[in-house]
Amino acid sequence: MPDIMDYLQFILAPQMLNGLALGISVVLVALGLTIIFGLLDVINMSHGEFYAVGAFTALALSALGLNYWVLLALVPILLLPVGVLVERYLIRRVYDGGDRHVSTLLLTFGLALVIEDILKIIFGPNTHRPATPLPGATEILGVFIPTYRLALIGIGFVVIAAVALVVYRTRLGAMVRAASYDRNMAASLGVRVGWVYSGAYAFGIALAGLAGVLLAPIYSVFPTMGHDFILLAVTVVIVGGMGSIWGAVVAGISLTQVQAISALIISPVWGDAIIFGVMVVVLMFRPQGIFGRIGHA
Amino acid sequence: MLDRLDISLRANHVLFVILFTAAFVFGVMASMTGDRFYLRLATEALILSGLALSIDILLGFTGLLSLGQALFFGVGAYVSALVLREVPSFWLALGAASGASLVAGVVGGLIANRVRGVYFALITFGMAQIVAKIIYNTRSLGASDGLIGIPVVEIPLGFVTLSAGNPLEFFLVVLGGITLIYAGMSYVLSSPFGRVMIALKANEKRVPYLGYSTWAPRMVAYVLAAVIAGTVGGLYPMLRGFVSPELMFFSASGDALIMVIIGGSGTLVGAIWGAILLVAFKSVVGSWTEHHLIIVGLMFMAAVLFMKRGLIGLVKPMIERRLVRIEAAREMRKEGKAP
Repeated sequence: MPDIMDYLQFILAPQMLNGLALGISVVLVALGLTIIFGLLDVINMSHGEFYAVGAFTALALSALGLNYWVLLALVPILLLPVGVLVERYLIRRVYDGGDRHVSTLLLTFGLALVIEDILKIIFGPNTHRPATPLPGATEILGVFIPTYRLALIGIGFVVIAAVALVVYRTRLGAMVRAASYDRNMAASLGVRVGWVYSGAYAFGIALAGLAGVLLAPIYSVFPTMGHDFILLAVTVVIVGGMGSIWGAVVAGISLTQVQAISALIISPVWGDAIIFGVMVVVLMFRPQGIFGRIGHA
Repeated sequence: MLDRLDISLRANHVLFVILFTAAFVFGVMASMTGDRFYLRLATEALILSGLALSIDILLGFTGLLSLGQALFFGVGAYVSALVLREVPSFWLALGAASGASLVAGVVGGLIANRVRGVYFALITFGMAQIVAKIIYNTRSLGASDGLIGIPVVEIPLGFVTLSAGNPLEFFLVVLGGITLIYAGMSYVLSSPFGRVMIALKANEKRVPYLGYSTWAPRMVAYVLAAVIAGTVGGLYPMLRGFVSPELMFFSASGDALIMVIIGGSGTLVGAIWGAILLVAFKSVVGSWTEHHLIIVGLMFMAAVLFMKRGLIGLVKPMIERRLVRIEAAREMRKEGKAP
């Protein structure tokens, strides 16, 4: 028996905790993605690049001497106007030209290429490694876990709860859900649908930026950092149900746990293939995902 | 009497003849100056144009956005490479590549055609990622290094035997292959069955009212696109002498999508022009700056925002108007009211 207990305590538990830290981060990125899809019907292919923009903005501002915890609040706020401009002047143009899914997907795909290269021009292609704001490790049940990862899990839960609270329990959230459910009806009831759209897109982008700031000290910062991460986030959004906030939370945490635990049993290189396998199977048999979508659930 | 589709296809033919002539002249001139690099690059552009064309069949005609078309290109390339390493036979390798991509296309089609729209795009993307990861992790397929050491093959064409090692000869073989693919697809699209495929893009809900199945033409379009991508993929190792998992990554599918959108979707020939332009652009601009992505991205966004028919859309309407006039004049002559 002690072998099994040791295994649980020193191998499985830390692995699951690391998986949870990754899961929370993925959920943060996926939240923005799922809100944008639920409301605007846009698959935001440039989401991963905005995540990188968040990380790089934090990097640049911390070089100016700004405190990390200030940046955590400042960077998302800085990204809000960017999101509004992108929605107003780019994405809105292709809403009504034929297939909205395809045209907006293509447009944001092009935007992703541009942003990625802008980051390369400004910051160079090299990898940056910002210092951890909370160095050291904390002992839990005899295992040392980096303190920052624990803080990340805590902050992540708070942010997710706050987002859910805004969407499901405030007047603003009700307007967002109403606009998502029936755009014309919401407009005739006095909801400024245009502003709700811009706001939701900007909010999603800001969440991606926040995730970028939070994850910069754990994963390195480089211009293509969004690529790998966004694939996982897209999978989470699909499995959870596009537009569903709870779906993203449940799918994000369970998928990263599957990845973390399977890495102990089979080679970790297969983690990605398993995740995409789950995505294809869900798309085949339940394309709307496990949960419904925003406003519909 | 010709309808709009006939006129449109004929305008494509005009643009294809221009491309073919330009490519032929380029090939002869390049080989006379003893160039190897640009001939090889042009051959690669033509091979990639086949992949772009297969995306255009889905996106431009049937209305299906595939984000994982490089999957079939990669399947063709790997199967061709594996065959060539055992038996250096051009036709055997190409046949195996086509056959394997046919099977992969049927399997992929059965999976992907369960869903529509954006879900279709994501499922094609997911399938390509899975297969790319499997190959990336499989040691016997070379894993992340890919397969190298693919021999140079002879290409027996019945009356003459060419070599894949000769840049001009292989360029002409690939040009011929693309011409056959283009002609074949034009024929399929102008047939009654092809028109049902096009009808799917126009309005999928209406097609069953006319008594047609929507599943069959969608499936056929998907499998045709897979076979085309796989066949040109089979040519790739003959040109480069190696294959690597990058051929299947999203960047490969994304590049091909860029070619289609910039060249002009729904025209077949636009995909080929787009492939040549993008490869040429990357090679020219890439030689003095590594930041070509920003320009490609801006061109791509401009095409999505302002030029729904891509660069081809700038010249094609003129050709169409001219064709309509010529056709009208011929009708008049036939009725004896000749001017």
